[in-house]
Amino acid sequence: MRKDKNFFLVWMLCLFLLIPVAVGGAEKFPTKPIEIVVPFAAGGSTDVLARLVAKYAPKYFDKPLVIINKPGGGGVTGTEGVVRSKADGYSLYLGYGSGHDLVTPHFQKLPYETFIDLIPVCRLSVHSIVMIIRADAPYKTLKEFVDWGKKREQVTASVSTKAGSVDITFQALGKATGLKIVTVPFRGGAEAVTAIVGGQTDSGGNHPSEIISHIKAKRLLPIAVALDQRDPAIPDVPTFKELGYNVVTVGSVKGVAAPKGTPPEVIGYLAERFKKVCEDPEFIKSMKDIGQPVMYLGPADFGKYMKEGFEQYGKLIKEFNIKLE
Amino acid sequence: MGRFKHPGPGFLPFGLAIVLVILSLILIFSKWKKRGASTPFWPHRTWLRPLLGVTILIFFALVVERVGFLITTFIFLMIWMGVIERVRWLTIISISIGTTAALYLIFALFLDVPLPLGFLKW
Amino acid sequence: MNELLGMFHGLVNGFGIAFSLTNLTFALIGALLGTIVGILPGLGPAATISLLLPLSFKIGSPVTSIIMMAGIFYGAMYGGSTTSILVNIPGEAASVVTCIDGYQMALKGRAGPALGIAAIGSFIAGTIGVIGLTFVAPPLAEFALKFGPPEYFALTLLGLLMATLLGGSSIVKGLIMVVLGLLLGSVGLDPISGAIRFTWGFFMLQEGVDFVTLAMGMFGIGEILINLEKELSTELVTRKITHLWPTLKDWAESKWAILRGSFIGFFIGILPGGGAVISSLVSYAVEKKVSKHPEEFGKGAIQGVAGPESANNAAASTSFIPLLTLGIPGNAAIAMIFAALLIQGVQPGPFLITEHPDVFWGVVASMYIGNVMLLILNLPLVGMWVQLLRVPYAILAPIIVLFCCIGVYSIRNTVFDIWVMGIFGVIGYLFRKVDMEPGPLILAFVLGPILERSLRQALLISAGSPFIFFSRPISGAMMGFLTLFIFIQIVRAVRGKWIRAR
Repeated sequence: MRKDKNFFLVWMLCLFLLIPVAVGGAEKFPTKPIEIVVPFAAGGSTDVLARLVAKYAPKYFDKPLVIINKPGGGGVTGTEGVVRSKADGYSLYLGYGSGHDLVTPHFQKLPYETFIDLIPVCRLSVHSIVMIIRADAPYKTLKEFVDWGKKREQVTASVSTKAGSVDITFQALGKATGLKIVTVPFRGGAEAVTAIVGGQTDSGGNHPSEIISHIKAKRLLPIAVALDQRDPAIPDVPTFKELGYNVVTVGSVKGVAAPKGTPPEVIGYLAERFKKVCEDPEFIKSMKDIGQPVMYLGPADFGKYMKEGFEQYGKLIKEFNIKLE
Repeated sequence: MGRFKHPGPGFLPFGLAIVLVILSLILIFSKWKKRGASTPFWPHRTWLRPLLGVTILIFFALVVERVGFLITTFIFLMIWMGVIERVRWLTIISISIGTTAALYLIFALFLDVPLPLGFLKW
Repeated sequence: MNELLGMFHGLVNGFGIAFSLTNLTFALIGALLGTIVGILPGLGPAATISLLLPLSFKIGSPVTSIIMMAGIFYGAMYGGSTTSILVNIPGEAASVVTCIDGYQMALKGRAGPALGIAAIGSFIAGTIGVIGLTFVAPPLAEFALKFGPPEYFALTLLGLLMATLLGGSSIVKGLIMVVLGLLLGSVGLDPISGAIRFTWGFFMLQEGVDFVTLAMGMFGIGEILINLEKELSTELVTRKITHLWPTLKDWAESKWAILRGSFIGFFIGILPGGGAVISSLVSYAVEKKVSKHPEEFGKGAIQGVAGPESANNAAASTSFIPLLTLGIPGNAAIAMIFAALLIQGVQPGPFLITEHPDVFWGVVASMYIGNVMLLILNLPLVGMWVQLLRVPYAILAPIIVLFCCIGVYSIRNTVFDIWVMGIFGVIGYLFRKVDMEPGPLILAFVLGPILERSLRQALLISAGSPFIFFSRPISGAMMGFLTLFIFIQIVRAVRGKWIRAR
């Protein structure tokens, strides 16, 4: 009889010991820091956005966000790394919606399917494409620029990457206005801004965050933005549509994506916490100061937005017959 | 390749290749004129030690990811000092251990550089 | 006059800020870290700064974080020359030129003076750089803006020309190395057209060959392989260390080189991208030209170390100018500092000096202090480094090889890079056997892409007309100088042959 009792006690003890194991096995996400991959060089506008988010994240995320830069291949290398990583939510891609996601697939095949191998988590911001000129140029509006440009053999525009979102937009503009616009590629936004500030080209295409300090310093003048509606970061700048040219894009979208197969609860957690960061007043203010509007969209809406943006670029390319030379 | 006014991606390499050929010919020609007694490239089998060095390097590259950094480095040092040079046994062992440890400390721990660990998880 | 007083006032304030205990500590940490990073292969100042970014948030104050980061940047410049002199491995592109005479000095037992004069020269140059930064930053920045693709083309061409002169004995051999370097530089993705060149299907080569891999291979492994040929490794380096410090004679010989180098580096360093490399090249060429004993260059002339080292340090100081006055980062490390400032709510740019004078002047002041700190740090270390050289080569060689392997591996965590380094090592070894210097090759490798890019950008802007290089004042002047220079060289060479033939 006693033997049975002891046996029973041992059993109960084991069961008690098993409880923490069971609970441990079903531990809540996240249990360790989350890696955020930025497939661009450190210091660029996407990188700054990521680090700003990471700065405010500890207030809302249970574990810290770690930023990793994996530049290369125009953004494809780093993105591919995330695509091939484990779909457990600890490896995310920030920058979903950039040129290599929305524009490049129209021209060449990538080593992964942008809309199948990646799941949208949320949108954080939109970097629109703004056309800028030097403040002391002989033209002050788009119309004046077009008039001025028609009299010349060609006009130049500094852009950040060949066949990137900005390049394509300017080629479309060229066809829409009838001007011969020659896009001059530079290594990234910073070099492109330096070129237009120095007057090396007649115009330039950049994102608001890259030029906001120069606009404030009255060196550069934004004359049009390629969006459907005005960009909240630069509300006084008219859209190309308003000015009569049907050059509309979603710009360069900055969102977060996870590899295919990531569990929906994890996506839900991430989206909710990112939303909280986007609602933090200090975060909003910091973003505004650097010229990046906070534009949050949840997973489902963001997914739709991405598909629409992709098709919009496709339409633009077809309508203006843009080719990669 | 692009026309001259609009150089394409192939322009520079092609032009450089032509220049290279011309320069090489000039060099060969000028050496040819001066040719006297030719000195051997590798007197007294001096190619042996460099070859050994390269071989150990190849070994390192092949093995390091599978077996792990610590072991590979240790073996590397041992072979180099033992085979290529002729160092005393005690020195070899102590330096091998010491250096492997030091490198690990500096790179893996202090600088946080991910090093291949192979099947040893430490 | 008022402006000058204002600047002086700001500077005094800045010193007040810089002398706080926190800021001094972080300046020291930065300098220390930077020196270590500069010596170790693989990790560069840009990568280090990006690793420390989260830490900078915890620090809280933007002034303190940028002081630390500037310290890292500087320290790396100092540290990079150490490996160049001791083991003929350049820490970064700007230190390649130091390898030439620096290593020769080390082989002759004069590593101490070489390191010493490099440290002193860097200190003087850095100080001159910061003084310049204080007083002429804004107009200089405006000048830098005028440099567009045609100017960069002309400048890089000038640099490449200087690089061929480094080729030691034969100009033809130097030219061949330059051409090879240019070809190597074109491996990878071409930014202007998007085409991928010379990768033979290796995905890993898409970004091109990395500088560190090439440098470690050609300089590091190549040197060790050729040294292996000598049976008794100890006969390699003159064990007799003659002096630990630069002598008064050394100082007398170098002081003008240091001054000239500082000014060269000061002006060329402002230009975003490649400023430090080109300035070290120009300084070397200038020193060789004005020297009374040009034949010593390449065999351990101390001016060959003093000049370029000063140049690249002055360039390091002035590379901050575009960042602080215009908000334009000049290279990867500065871009990181730029990002760090942005995140902390400070906009680098024309308004920095008015909106955040504490940041601006605090940083400038801490640069003065940083230079002093680095000098104090590095001079005692010279003794330590020289002792390191006394380790028998049999033991030192494999350790150096390991350092190279790990350094190269740490760039992309792939063994592929070790293979590439090994191949370059063998190539470097064979080059040395036929008396071809790898220096011009690696310099062409660095400058080549800039040259090509600028050429194509310039032609896009000018709609295909090559006139643009001559019609613009700055590039026209440089091209003119270049043409004259080449002409004189040819005349000299022809005349020399003519005289010898008689």
